[in-house]
Amino acid sequence: MRRSFLAYVAALIALVPVLVGVLPGTAGAVEIKTVTTPLGLKAWLVQDKTAPAVSLAFSFSGGTASDPAGKLGVTSLMAALLTDGAAGFDAQTFRLRVEEAGASIGFGASLDRLNGALRVLSANRDDGFELLRLALTEPRFDRDMLDQRRAQMLSGLNRAKQSPGAVAARTFVEAEFAGHPYANDPDGTPEDLKGLATEDVRQRAKALLTRNGLIIAAVGDIDEAELARLLDRTFGGLPQEAPDGTPPALPPDWRPPAKARTIVVERPVPQSTALLGLPSLTRDDPDWYALLVLNHVLGGGGQQSRLFNEVREKRGLAYGASSSLRTYRKAGLLVISTASANERVAEALKVVRDVLSRLRDEGPTEEEFAEAKTYLTGSLALALDSSGAIAGLLHSMQVDQLPPNQLERRAALIDAVTIGDVQRLARRLLDQDRMITVVVGQPVGLSP
Amino acid sequence: MISRRTLMGAVALAPALGPTRAFAKLFSVTPRPVESFTLANGLEVVVLPSRRAPIVSQTVIYKAGSADEVVGKTGVAHFLEHMMFKGTGAVGAGEFSRTVSSHGGRDNAYTTFDVTGYYQTVSPDRLDLVMRMEADRMADLRITDKELQPERQVVLEERRMRTESSPAALLEEVVQEKLYGRDQPYGVPVIGYVDDINRLGVGDLETFYRQHYAPNNAVLIVAGDATPDEVRALAEKSYAPVPRREVGLRQRPSHGAEDLPQRVARADVRVAEPAWGRTWLAPSYRSGETRHAYALQVLARLLGGNETSRLSRALVEESKVALSAWASYSADSLGLSAFEIGIHPARSASLAEVEEAAGRQLGRLLDDGVKADEVERAQNQLLAAAIYGRDSLATGPRVFASALGTGSTVADVQAWPQRIAAVTAAEVVAAARHVWRPDGLVTAELTGTGGGK
Repeated sequence: MRRSFLAYVAALIALVPVLVGVLPGTAGAVEIKTVTTPLGLKAWLVQDKTAPAVSLAFSFSGGTASDPAGKLGVTSLMAALLTDGAAGFDAQTFRLRVEEAGASIGFGASLDRLNGALRVLSANRDDGFELLRLALTEPRFDRDMLDQRRAQMLSGLNRAKQSPGAVAARTFVEAEFAGHPYANDPDGTPEDLKGLATEDVRQRAKALLTRNGLIIAAVGDIDEAELARLLDRTFGGLPQEAPDGTPPALPPDWRPPAKARTIVVERPVPQSTALLGLPSLTRDDPDWYALLVLNHVLGGGGQQSRLFNEVREKRGLAYGASSSLRTYRKAGLLVISTASANERVAEALKVVRDVLSRLRDEGPTEEEFAEAKTYLTGSLALALDSSGAIAGLLHSMQVDQLPPNQLERRAALIDAVTIGDVQRLARRLLDQDRMITVVVGQPVGLSP
Repeated sequence: MISRRTLMGAVALAPALGPTRAFAKLFSVTPRPVESFTLANGLEVVVLPSRRAPIVSQTVIYKAGSADEVVGKTGVAHFLEHMMFKGTGAVGAGEFSRTVSSHGGRDNAYTTFDVTGYYQTVSPDRLDLVMRMEADRMADLRITDKELQPERQVVLEERRMRTESSPAALLEEVVQEKLYGRDQPYGVPVIGYVDDINRLGVGDLETFYRQHYAPNNAVLIVAGDATPDEVRALAEKSYAPVPRREVGLRQRPSHGAEDLPQRVARADVRVAEPAWGRTWLAPSYRSGETRHAYALQVLARLLGGNETSRLSRALVEESKVALSAWASYSADSLGLSAFEIGIHPARSASLAEVEEAAGRQLGRLLDDGVKADEVERAQNQLLAAAIYGRDSLATGPRVFASALGTGSTVADVQAWPQRIAAVTAAEVVAAARHVWRPDGLVTAELTGTGGGK
């Protein structure tokens, strides 16, 4: 029995290369409807009855990168305070009402946008949307809650200094974006936070919470007409534009660092955490899909990439070695991260650089190229594993100004990438003369 | 990968409780569709169908974790988890994950005190592939010294990252050791001690594999776009041929450390924000006074589940001695579990002050009891989380893996909403009285080296 079983598995594995490339796309997995409300609000909707609930993901134009000078952190503070009391409800009462609806409402700011999310059980749908309306249109910004959130943010900034990963991330962003608002911590600075008053928070809310630039995605147990009615009721009371009539200022263009730099931050830890960054593409670049392939081969996906293989599998130099893409309105970065014992981090970094050089010079192999395309086509479905995740996807598609049929187009766009495109892109992007390297720990053999 | 025993999926939903509107009606939770059966070789199979998206996940758990190790061989369960990706007679080292990825899927694994789990998410037409590959490494893992040596370094780097670079994690190791006792199953970190990791060899890993990795000691959970009939047919092809094997009895002590209470402190130059915590020995579904297990989940929620919970209201909102405060408890444990509270003090407050303030709240709860609507709110939060949990493909397998790996049944999981809803205010107080005993706890203090605050 045992032998036949093994023969079976062996035959199966031998089949693998044949199967590569036939994975179906995920077209039709989700049907996106576009909704325009009587008041003219636009939203994308996926109806789904898996759970008796509705998930909403939405955002307003303008984020922490447009915090006014001297008021860094005000957008994040305002976002936290939106759910700390509204209209006649103080913070505790508001939270209790949200709980009674079996709902959750939350806000947070990224560099470019103010994001919000609502989740509510179908049976309490109206209550959930009504509480969201109050949070958006009648936030209280009570002084005691402002003091509490400020204290928590100050503590959070302080606590980030404890973690080598957080120190590396902050140092890295400050080096990549030196002189640009993207360098600012979304949670501000202690000095500015301490000076913020209720009026600052109120002004910031007025500047950002407008219907211009509002993006909405909904997923769940709700139809178009009902969604339209609830959206008008919830968002309809917001002004079309800010009091001064101007949208939040766009961040200036980013000029990537001209020279390579290695920054070492000494910390008493046995392991050095490293981040390496290269200027990359923004989402609207025609080479976007070639970039996805390149990143997958280099260090994306799961446990198959060159970085994972060379740094971890072959040499045991780190637990994690990966690359990821960060995109902003005005910038794109390719970021490599790993962590290795202080004595071995220099070797790990050398391996990373060798991987980059080889990929730049030779490009991916045919096999890597084909596997990356199969993975990228199939992995879209993996992102559809909850209604919140689907709402997030619909929301980010709109932020990226993609059409509703993007999910159907995506497989063809990936398929159209040629290995020549990826080789060309590798030569253009993997330029270590522009690489920022940050190492936090007590690295041996690295000159700062 | 390592995950501490965590709050059962409850983290999914942020908010929990307080009296404003008189009586919130308990949310009703209709049971989700579940089918389960057992193969002739003893493999238990659970199917959680959902047609939402064209994806399906396979999870295989073994009823073995770090608590099944022996003294001197700590870390072997977790090290073996890493080596499960290093090849069989049919699949080369690293090929498992590469194959999953090249088919558009993802995979990973984790080790806890009681359970080791492996999972993949793929498109439905690849379920056959991953089931056969998982069955293959259940039966025919090949561990070589060539692959083991670099992987040892990976494990040590994982320990540096998770534990040695984190003062809080180092303190947590000491809390576990003091609470359960040195060299006791839950007193040893899941990832193991460095000296042991350095000494483990091929033979140690093979021994653990032979003792615990068998179909009759495993559970297969398939969730997503697959019918029970399809899963049964595939399982008969892939897993049924794996022979049943004798597995050892799992044992957990029925008591904690002998010398409680204890107080442990770590003053670490890397700490910028101090923290205070207290951990009590607590019953689980399987060990100790198990009748308290459901009430303790409600207690953790109403005491420290979120910003409307008692600790947060009293310490953060009212007296302002804390910036945040939480409580946590999980009943999924083969041996005794733990009930924990944690507090992050405000800048102006000392650790002694927050300890006293927390003690007052616990005393108040024991003296004055809890209100019926407060209990109902906590129950509603737990039930709402269960409803939302149904919406995510990852939550179902996680819940069943954790329960079935620690001796609970599918029927237990299905009955969970009713059992939570049946908890009364008196039972919550009785559970608190049972667990909050002065001789069953460890207090932990984490400070910087500037003398604390």
